[in-house]
Amino acid sequence: MKTFQVMIMSAFLGGWLPLALGADAGDQAPGFDLPLLQHDEQAALSDYTGKILYVDFWASWCPPCLVSMPIMNDLRNKLQQQGIDFEVLAVNVDSDPEDGIDFLLDAPVDFVVLSDPAGGTPALYGVKGMPTSYLVDQQGNIVMKHEGFKRRDVDMIEARILALAGQGN
Amino acid sequence: MTISIKTIVYIALSAGFAMLVSGCQPVQAWERGVLAKPEMAIDPDPLETTLNNHIYFSKEASNGGHSATGGGCGCN
Repeated sequence: MKTFQVMIMSAFLGGWLPLALGADAGDQAPGFDLPLLQHDEQAALSDYTGKILYVDFWASWCPPCLVSMPIMNDLRNKLQQQGIDFEVLAVNVDSDPEDGIDFLLDAPVDFVVLSDPAGGTPALYGVKGMPTSYLVDQQGNIVMKHEGFKRRDVDMIEARILALAGQGN
Repeated sequence: MTISIKTIVYIALSAGFAMLVSGCQPVQAWERGVLAKPEMAIDPDPLETTLNNHIYFSKEASNGGHSATGGGCGCN
C-alpha cells in the first residue's frame, strides 16, 4: 500500500516540480539565449554580464505587464542618463509572438525584447504569474524577485537598482 | 518466486491510476493567453446578462440566484 501512495504522490508532485525548482533571490540567474521579438537576431543573458539587469517576463494579454512596459522604459532611460549601467531584458511569452509585436508597435520600448513562445525560460525561472521580474546584480545573482506590477512599485525597484549601483541612500 | 494474479492486477491498476493522475498538470502562467481572452470570461457581456435577468424575474415573478438586483417592494 505504501508503494501505491508513493506513486500517487510522485505523480501529483511531478507536475509542480518545475515551479518548485525555479530561481529565487540569492540564486545565480539561469542563462538563456533567445531570439529578439522584432528583429532576426539572438541575445543571451551572458551578453549583459557586469550590468544591473531587470529580467521581465511579460505577455500582451496581461494588463499589469502592459502597465509596466512604458514605466520600466522610462526608468531604464532615466538611469542610463545618470550613468548607471542598467538594462532591461524583457522576455515575451505570448504563444503567438505577433500579439507581442502588435503591442510594441503601439507602445515601443528602447530595451531589448526577446521572444519565448514555448515558455522554456519562464519554466527555468519558475515563473508563477504574469508579470514576474528578476533584478540581477553585476555578478549575475538574483537579488529580487517581483511578482505582479503596480505603478507605485517603480519607486521600490529604482531604490534597489540604485543600491546595487552604490548610489542608494 | 511466483507472483499471484492479485499482485499483478494490483500493480497494473496502480500504474494505470498513477499515469492518469499525472495528467493533472497545472496551467502555467505563460500558457494563460487563451484563458485571458474576453470571450473566455464567465460573463462576457454584463449588460446583456443584467437585461436577461431583469426579463427573467419580471416573467417568473421570482428573483435571486444570480447577480441581478431588485428590491422587495414588488414595484419593478
